[in-house]
Amino acid sequence: MAPGVRGDLRDSALPSLNSPSVEGDAIKVYVRVRPPSEGTVLTDGDPGLCLSVLSSNTIRLHSKPEPKIFTFDYVANMETTQESVFSSVAKSVVESCMNGYNGTIFAYGQTGSGKTFTMMGPSDSDNFTHSLRGVIPRSFEYLFFLIEREKEKAGSGKSFLCKCSFIEIYNEQIFDLLDSASAGLFLREHIKKGVFVDGAVEQVLSSAAEAYQVLTMGWRNRRVASTSMNRESSRSHAVFTITVESMEKNNEIVNIRSSLLNLVDLAGSERQKDTHTEGLRLKEAGNINRSLSCLGQVITALVDVGNGKQRHICYRDSKLTFLLRDSLGGNAKTCIIANVHPGSRCFGETLSTLNFAQRAKLIKNKAVVNEDTQGNVS
Amino acid sequence: MAAAAGGGWAAVREKFRAARTLSAVESRKDPETEPYRSKYSARALLQEVKQLLSAAEEGGEARLLAVRRAVLEYELGVNHTDTEELSAGEEHLQRCTQLLEPHRLSPDCVSLYIQAQNNLGILWSERDEIKTAQTYLESAEALYNQYMKEDGNPPLDPSEHFMAEEEKLTDQERSKRFEKAYTHTLYYLAQVYQHLEMIEKAAQYCHTTLKRQLEYCGYYPVEWALNAATLSQYYLSKQCFMESRHCLAAASVIFSQAEQAPSAEDNETEQDQQDLRQRRAEIARCWIKYCLNLLQSARKLLEDNIGELDPDRQSELKAQRKKEEDEKEKGRKKAVLFGTSDICDSVLAMEEKVSSVYPLDFQEAREIFLVGQNYVQEAKEFFQVDGYVTDHIEIVQDHSALFKVLAFFEEDYERRCKMHKRRIDMLEPIYADLNPQYYLLISRQLQFELADTYYEMMDLKVAIGNRLEELDSHTIKKINSLAQLAIKYYELFLDSLRNPDKVFPEVLEEDVLRPAMVAKFHIARLYGKLITSDSKKQLENMQTSLEYYTFLVDYCKKYPDAVRAVETELELSKEMVGLLPTRMERLRAKLCPFI
Repeated sequence: MAPGVRGDLRDSALPSLNSPSVEGDAIKVYVRVRPPSEGTVLTDGDPGLCLSVLSSNTIRLHSKPEPKIFTFDYVANMETTQESVFSSVAKSVVESCMNGYNGTIFAYGQTGSGKTFTMMGPSDSDNFTHSLRGVIPRSFEYLFFLIEREKEKAGSGKSFLCKCSFIEIYNEQIFDLLDSASAGLFLREHIKKGVFVDGAVEQVLSSAAEAYQVLTMGWRNRRVASTSMNRESSRSHAVFTITVESMEKNNEIVNIRSSLLNLVDLAGSERQKDTHTEGLRLKEAGNINRSLSCLGQVITALVDVGNGKQRHICYRDSKLTFLLRDSLGGNAKTCIIANVHPGSRCFGETLSTLNFAQRAKLIKNKAVVNEDTQGNVS
Repeated sequence: MAAAAGGGWAAVREKFRAARTLSAVESRKDPETEPYRSKYSARALLQEVKQLLSAAEEGGEARLLAVRRAVLEYELGVNHTDTEELSAGEEHLQRCTQLLEPHRLSPDCVSLYIQAQNNLGILWSERDEIKTAQTYLESAEALYNQYMKEDGNPPLDPSEHFMAEEEKLTDQERSKRFEKAYTHTLYYLAQVYQHLEMIEKAAQYCHTTLKRQLEYCGYYPVEWALNAATLSQYYLSKQCFMESRHCLAAASVIFSQAEQAPSAEDNETEQDQQDLRQRRAEIARCWIKYCLNLLQSARKLLEDNIGELDPDRQSELKAQRKKEEDEKEKGRKKAVLFGTSDICDSVLAMEEKVSSVYPLDFQEAREIFLVGQNYVQEAKEFFQVDGYVTDHIEIVQDHSALFKVLAFFEEDYERRCKMHKRRIDMLEPIYADLNPQYYLLISRQLQFELADTYYEMMDLKVAIGNRLEELDSHTIKKINSLAQLAIKYYELFLDSLRNPDKVFPEVLEEDVLRPAMVAKFHIARLYGKLITSDSKKQLENMQTSLEYYTFLVDYCKKYPDAVRAVETELELSKEMVGLLPTRMERLRAKLCPFI
């Protein structure tokens, strides 16, 4: 594709598009502090909060003896609106997605810290029109808004194809949320297309409303669990993926661009057993199992430390990290929204969430525009 | 009264048994929406048992009661920790150990005491207090050792305290359960040491855990084999080839037993078969790494300061080895051996197939290479490019690395060059197909590897050419085309670092700094090596070469931190930046003698 064409796309009314490449490719980390639910402050005693937002990118955790200060790309305090979270976090990811980059938005945090509210919006309501709707519905709207505008501008020369899939990873097994009858699915790799879920249903989308319908339908199939500690906690990771393909005809040359947008709602971080986030806990041997099922993980950790020597580790990463490998230190625009609950009872989990977010900031991504030129200039 | 107590006792036993079944068996069938339902019911039952026991407290024998209460506290402690209620769990477990403290070395208490300490270890680790966990677990380990030394009879299993006389376990079963509890202690300690970064100790405890699993038949063969194979990779990183080979041989033996054994359920799915094939391929990959490391370490020992085989060093090492062979077998540590006699025999037979000492000449290196290459084929059978892109390419990269290190041992330059050509032939087609949008990192690795291989081949051709009286046109053409190809791949690599607007980064990231500088440096050298009779062309090449050398010098001047990564290259570049302009001046003068 001629460089000029891309230049046009950038210059036209989307000035913010220039910023991603200037800012570099480190993963963006946003922290959002939810307000405590009503009555919490009273029961927690005064001053019931374990943290305070100092500025739009620093947060202080009241740890003892020394308070800790964390710096992130953006810190949203309790008053921050859904709209402002969307514009500061997701907007630029959706825009780069239109330009052929892969993008991923994660919500991370303890159960009850507001992940679902941030990503989806308030439960039990029609989120798609609700003023409190979350990042995902807003991303849909914005994506299709951009597509429509692009189409109008380019006329018949340019066409778009959007497809989506929605899967869930539970107990290291993959389920298709768009086809509740399907059994466990598998991850495979394609030399041209990267990692994909073999056999997952792909639904063609033509509007934001349609995308939203697919999302709500799939959401209902998610697995949740309740314990006496947590009223409701999601035990699975949900990954909603939109593939945006654009085709542009320019004389005899056809430019095809494709990009993925992954919207991820992670399982409550306090229950995550198989990612690197869990800190120091020991893995238990099952009481009945003959095997010490995690010995391998311990040995793997030992080998991991081994100084740059050639070695092979028999245990692959978890399904989630494998699926999103591109988003973690791979080749995409990625941002993480770390959700925290400010109550002092959540101090431990909040600290570990902030530590995780701090580590995530160190991951660097390198985004490359995916362009494929077909046809001859003959 | 006695009858009533007896009847009451039967009810207590019944309730206790029900609670255990609920928490161990039923809880696994709990619906996802209520994962702890059975655990909660079990907890209620245990509380009832506790009530009943208190009621019977008067008149009972104090010690017996204390031990029974300790069992209940233990069960309640485990129940609470299982359901994420740590503080309550801790209280119960503490009460359990307090009750048992005076009797912990007696056969009816020792096992329970160790298990309570295991659980306290886990509990504290969940609070990220590894040091505290460590003290509990190490004291459990010490208690086991002390008991085995002073008594050693199979102790009672905790569950027996709530069994009728006729249900009591056999000594064999008791011993099995006791040993299992201790194996768990070791397994938790392995993790504690890992978290405390006492790596060697952690590895030793993993090793011992594996050994005990094998001894007490408490293992799934496939999983055991994978663990042993992974452990071998730890030993590789420590250059302990004998231990590494032993782990791998044991892994292969145990794995093939698993393959041969008819599976427990006849309706073995295709997925299980697939899994099994994948595991086999994983173990093969560990063997590949073994061969590769052995060869590479030998190369390190043998190479001189320019990376060629040093014959003096070679004969020195051969003499040394001869001496060591006489004292052989002594070094074998009995402790690291896996398995009982018949497994041990198979493992030893497996080990025979490949050496664990450094190869010192081409013949020895070739034998190891061939073993590695066989495992490459085996691993590729499963990890095909369609579906397993990353794994497949990693295996091909290993194959290429095997050829590379074998070439080091080859004295004949023509044959050595052919080995490198084999590397090109396997890497190039894969690179061509790969989409860098998803495989940027691998794509860069391949670019660099291809460039380096062409570079090496070009150097070899130059060396071959230097032996001739005069360079023939065929050799010149060959040298030039190899150099061009090397340049092409180095440039592709450098291009991959550009940002979307095709601008080369002002500051290079830490992880690509060295490769990028080396690429620049090699390109500079390559332009210097291009042979042409056209002086104008030659001047151009020198100019390009100078630009690349200058890049290195300027970059390091601007970012002095970079110097550390490329010291030798920088020194040579500075030299060239000094020399080249004079040379070019001379050439120019020759071109236009009248100016």
